Amino acid sequence: MKDWQYRLRGARTTLSAIAVFIVIFALYAAKHDGGFTGNVAQTAANKGVLLAFVAIGQCFVVLTAGIDLSVGAVFILADCLASTLVTGSPLAVAFGVVAVLVAGLACGLVNGLIVVYGRLQPIVATIATGAIYFGLALWVRPEPGGDIDSNLADAVTGQLPGGIPSSLVLLLAIILLVWVPFRRSVMGRAVYAVGSSEASAYMSGLPIRRAKLLAYGFAGLFSAVGGLMLSFITYSGEASATNASTYTLNSIAAVVIGGVSLFGGAGSAIGAVFGALIFRTINDLLFVFDLDPLWQPLFLGLVLLAAVSFGSLRLLRIRNRLELFGQ
Amino acid sequence: MKVTTPFPQPFLIAALCLSALGATSTLARAAGPEVVAGPAADAQCFVPWTDKTKYFKYAKKPGPYRIALANGFIGNTWRIQMIKTAKAYAEQPEVKKQLKEFKVVSTGDDIAAQISAVNNFIDSGYDAVVIDAQNPTAFKGVVKRAQAAGVVLVAFDNTIDTDAAINVNVDQEGLGKYWGDWLVKNLPKGGSILEVRGVTGTSVDTDRHKGLQETLKASGQKFETVEVVGRWDDGTAQKVSADALAVHKKFDGMTAQGGSTGMVRAFMDAGAPLVPAAAETENGFRKLCLADQAKGLNCASGGTGPAQVAVAIKTALTALNGDVVPQSIRLPLAHVEDPGFKAGDNVYPDQTDNFFVGNSFPTCGINFTAQEIMGRSEANQ
Repeated sequence: MKDWQYRLRGARTTLSAIAVFIVIFALYAAKHDGGFTGNVAQTAANKGVLLAFVAIGQCFVVLTAGIDLSVGAVFILADCLASTLVTGSPLAVAFGVVAVLVAGLACGLVNGLIVVYGRLQPIVATIATGAIYFGLALWVRPEPGGDIDSNLADAVTGQLPGGIPSSLVLLLAIILLVWVPFRRSVMGRAVYAVGSSEASAYMSGLPIRRAKLLAYGFAGLFSAVGGLMLSFITYSGEASATNASTYTLNSIAAVVIGGVSLFGGAGSAIGAVFGALIFRTINDLLFVFDLDPLWQPLFLGLVLLAAVSFGSLRLLRIRNRLELFGQ
Repeated sequence: MKVTTPFPQPFLIAALCLSALGATSTLARAAGPEVVAGPAADAQCFVPWTDKTKYFKYAKKPGPYRIALANGFIGNTWRIQMIKTAKAYAEQPEVKKQLKEFKVVSTGDDIAAQISAVNNFIDSGYDAVVIDAQNPTAFKGVVKRAQAAGVVLVAFDNTIDTDAAINVNVDQEGLGKYWGDWLVKNLPKGGSILEVRGVTGTSVDTDRHKGLQETLKASGQKFETVEVVGRWDDGTAQKVSADALAVHKKFDGMTAQGGSTGMVRAFMDAGAPLVPAAAETENGFRKLCLADQAKGLNCASGGTGPAQVAVAIKTALTALNGDVVPQSIRLPLAHVEDPGFKAGDNVYPDQTDNFFVGNSFPTCGINFTAQEIMGRSEANQ
């Protein structure tokens, strides 16, 4: 087999997520009363990109065969911090953005340290730290409110000339700047290797601990980017416990829909991004179809179940995870 | 394949991208409604929140209209009854003829989903959007977009922090005053009163308490109140009322912010005299008031139930018609006092205790029967 054929096989789950997204988004856009205008694309993009960032964060950890239940709390903490820091002079705004990202990274690294050196199960460790991060968020912003530099917020959530949503461009830029180099680096491959088989990765002399730390650190960082995005959309911050858990669970759903294996070692952040976009579009179908309001949650659940099953269909059929990479 | 070691500083670059985007943003800003002098077109129904409240006059649009209800959380009886009431209101003949479409979407707890639902309604050309907001501070961008598109936004129940869209506010302090006034009238010599409060720390609880206490104090009579915390819940209210009765033996009056049925039941179970009761609008409470009138149970039942959604829709219709409405509206109270309780009219003996019966806002010409609400199919249109 040629090199490109191997790569195509490796990207199959991601490609099928992209195909599913195109089909359901086309259905949505075709049924939308407003037609497929810049505004409609902007609304869909903002909501999708928000979840996509958290899903990318979750994806890093899931690739190592871990799970991060604190992403929603970091996301909310970033939102609350942003609503106090990202305001004022341009310098203060820039400082605020950096501070929020650093805080997210720090939260993620703490998770990583506890999992790697504390040797706690990721699920338990991140439930505990998630509660702490949410506590901090509540301390920063006990009541909804605060302010965000509206120029920056309008810019990030607005439209570029030609009706292209800025948030989508931002997402693309971050994927190109972070995910692509990461995937090609030794660290990137170590993350996949740890998720596939930790023992083999160890025997191969890969930097297992650093790879895991990096994955958790990125989870925190990307959740914080999502949190910033939330504050740009809402022009404020709110320490909402329900939103924290909603985003944690939605990020896991998005990752699975995007073809990332919860057993680790297979999938990609691009798949997770499309998983998030699919998840959001499923919710948007409510808008274009006339459904009984009291049946909406049930309908969403059914479609979600179908999407998750489809996303993991290929993973169920394989006997050995190495098959995902070739044969 | 190229093998590289860790990372450049991607986020510095990302931050640069952000600032580059800043220069090219295109967000239309346009005029909202005209700010005019009062009073409102239907001044009896649309009472301004304060003397300083602004009045809005939107450009008159030809009907029939497309109106959407963007609900957030759905999952308690209040919200479900609210949505059923909204549908029932849209079906009432004089409302129906003004509506081309009435659409309901519930987006759950996720604030971003609710914001994009409202944006979608605006972009789809709906004439008005009625919102029960998940977060009061998160709708600045939505309000701008609605103004640019000439869409009427009306928030109710959980209102939004803005002076550029219409809010329909519940007057919680006024409800406390209503209970206080009625108790003062029925206990001209004063006396001891059991006050069953709500969920501690909420503004609803403190406002209702304040209204009640200030009215009792202002009466000049000697009132003593015993406060217990009933958490707006029948079970809790019944337990704490029973405890209070065990300690104090006898009261001259009782009042509850919620869990009213439980409070009255505690008096019955203890065999205590049935003293005047001023409380909320649960069907269970009104059922007891109706059944025990003969035994001397004298009641006042008031509140602003889920039917307030009808007032919000009416406000949107009035604004679309080009009539003047206040920016911030004080919702009227739906209330009934003895001997006004009538089975099938404002009490429903065959419905559950949890049904909220405060569905009549006479000053707005709004009234519903339980059958109208509960019998409504929830299908759209």
